[in-house]
Amino acid sequence: MKKFLALVLSAVMVLSLAACGGSKNSDSDMAKIKDKGKLVVGITDFAPMDFQENGEWVGFDADMAKAFAESLGVEVEFVEIDWDNKIMELDSGSIDCVWNGMTLTDEVTAAMDCSNAYCNNAQIVIVPAEGSEKYTDTDSLAGLKFAVEAGSAGEKEVSALGLDYTPVKSQADTLTEVAAGTSDAAVIDSLMAAAMVGEGTGYENLTYTVGLNSEQYGVGFRKGSDLCAALNDFFKKSYEDGSMISCAEKYGVQAALIAQ
Amino acid sequence: MDIIIDQLPIVIKSLNIGFIQTLKLFFVTLIGAFPLGLIIAFGSMSRFLPLRYLTRFIVWIIRGTPLMLQMLIVYYFPGLVFHNNIWGSGEFGRFFAASVSFVINYACYFSEIYRGGIQGVPVGQEEAGLVLGMTKSQIFFKVTLLQMIKRIVPPISNEIITLVKDTSLARIIALQEIIWAGQAFMKGSQGISGQIWPLFFTAIYYLLFSGILTVLLSKLEKKLNYFR
Amino acid sequence: MAILEIENISKSFDRTKVLKDISFNVEQGQVTSIIGSSGSGKTTLLRCLNFLERPDGGIIRVNNEVLFDANDPETYKESTIRTKRLHFGLVFQSFNLFPQYTAKKNVMLAKELLAKATPEYKERKKEIHEEIEHQAEMLLIQMGLKDRMNNYPHQLSGGQCQRVAIARALALEPDILCFDEPTSALDPELTGEVLKVIKGLADKRTTMIIVTHEMAFAKEVSNQVIFMDDGYILEQGTPEQVFDNPQMERTKHFLARAHITE
Repeated sequence: MKKFLALVLSAVMVLSLAACGGSKNSDSDMAKIKDKGKLVVGITDFAPMDFQENGEWVGFDADMAKAFAESLGVEVEFVEIDWDNKIMELDSGSIDCVWNGMTLTDEVTAAMDCSNAYCNNAQIVIVPAEGSEKYTDTDSLAGLKFAVEAGSAGEKEVSALGLDYTPVKSQADTLTEVAAGTSDAAVIDSLMAAAMVGEGTGYENLTYTVGLNSEQYGVGFRKGSDLCAALNDFFKKSYEDGSMISCAEKYGVQAALIAQ
Repeated sequence: MDIIIDQLPIVIKSLNIGFIQTLKLFFVTLIGAFPLGLIIAFGSMSRFLPLRYLTRFIVWIIRGTPLMLQMLIVYYFPGLVFHNNIWGSGEFGRFFAASVSFVINYACYFSEIYRGGIQGVPVGQEEAGLVLGMTKSQIFFKVTLLQMIKRIVPPISNEIITLVKDTSLARIIALQEIIWAGQAFMKGSQGISGQIWPLFFTAIYYLLFSGILTVLLSKLEKKLNYFR
Repeated sequence: MAILEIENISKSFDRTKVLKDISFNVEQGQVTSIIGSSGSGKTTLLRCLNFLERPDGGIIRVNNEVLFDANDPETYKESTIRTKRLHFGLVFQSFNLFPQYTAKKNVMLAKELLAKATPEYKERKKEIHEEIEHQAEMLLIQMGLKDRMNNYPHQLSGGQCQRVAIARALALEPDILCFDEPTSALDPELTGEVLKVIKGLADKRTTMIIVTHEMAFAKEVSNQVIFMDDGYILEQGTPEQVFDNPQMERTKHFLARAHITE
């Protein structure tokens, strides 16, 4: 029994070592996706970047991803992922890229090879509409209890400002917190805030106030992936021929678009 | 309230799709875990000691760690460590990986219940069969099996009801079951965003389903009450 | 001629010797009672005869056929044991009826399973089934359970259960019927009905070996009494010899005490 236990334990250790020091597969990502004939894009339901219409994924990111795949001569496959696990999804090979209005934070750029930024975004403070007038600048936010998405750009901002906050699972959850009164304010992406807060939404009593920082969206690939450079070339080409701009106009994000 | 009535058809349609995933995972888990649990139970009672210790060791690992963690390991480990994502990228891969995790996890719990059920049948039952010239398999199928089933129905019923709710754990690997479908409307999906009620609405599905199961299982229990 | 010959049977559990050099014969149509204090090896001896335990040494012969010989592994191969068991029937102290079957089905089950293995079963399925059912009913009537045939064991008293168990053992028509303390698990007022049934079988000259604590009953019903102590047969003979004129101190001592507790 002792010998057996030792054997099992050493097997576990070897596996964990392999997990830490595993070398990347030598095949290039480009060769791999051409081989399987499809580009697997990891997304979440995130209007206006990626959302479903008549059972098909559309949106600024989704349409651009389709065009990119087409330029490579492969099919595109959209896969909804758990945003928390995006790096694991990428590294395990279950997706080939994360293309979902992803803010280029230090954590993201450290773990992935990222494309050039293509869209501006801001982190914006959400509070109950009643009494929202008094929040005009970052100083006026002191004393509020914030809810932010764990690991988000918003969390980084409030923690940099030294504000009191609770990390929750998703941006949507931060709004639930404010609506339920369990937190005073939330911080979410401005592109998202437009869709989620105010008239005609479930959060009619909430409104957005102070913008915290400006940030940028990019597309993430596995470390060392040759797809990254290919996408930068593609962005450049489509920006120059105007197709990227018309696509942005279609989804109302042209103002945020970054010149390539 | 008006908003809810407008949104209801879209939400229900979406929740139905999610619930079908929930049901699929539920039934696949049961179909896989019932027989696998029996095999593990026999392994853990084996007179061949290495096999017995190995199966008990595996059962200890599986019962001693969260199912959520097991799913993450099953789904991501092959790709992360061996650079060979065996599950594929699509929804089926996620479902398959979730099924494998659930079947193994529940089989281990079932195996302990089976073991209790088998060992709970008095040894005199087998001896009575033996002196009447029955074979081991006749004794198992004609004598001990039903007594064992009677013993295990109540604890297995508990596990089955727990399984109904545990299926929601599969969203950790982005299996789009009913909770995922309900949550999608908080963030925004199909033109509906910032809505919390669909998430709470999923409770009705769970309650109905577990209600039906409770009735069926207690019927089975009553049916087996004809003997003691 | 002896129907059963037991020669030099010995058996140990771990390092404890439970049976030491046991030899005796049983004649056709006779009743042998085995008495002795708890732990003297009586039950183990019965279990050896029914192949629930394998003796370490010795020979068991039935009708001159060697059923077991410790020196000949061929005689205790798993595949042959099953049919050899059928020479013996065993009635347990705790009945061990199958709780999910009615009294009648308990009596029929083993015989049905045996019949299924015979070549003519397919053609005569219904007939065979009816024969077995008829036999079970006759046995249960003989046991005084005419009205209880379709009851489940939990609906029967202990005495009734034990009578069903006797019918179940008789259904296979064993050469030798063994009883392992058949009344020990019963309330005192229920022992009588079971003893009466066994007495009835003795009157019909059924060959029986009975392990029992009922001294008066053993004396009344037996042709041969065996007194066991610490794994040995200390004394054996007719009931008159063993009960009225015991030769050994231990036997006298045991009988004196048994008498007091009765």
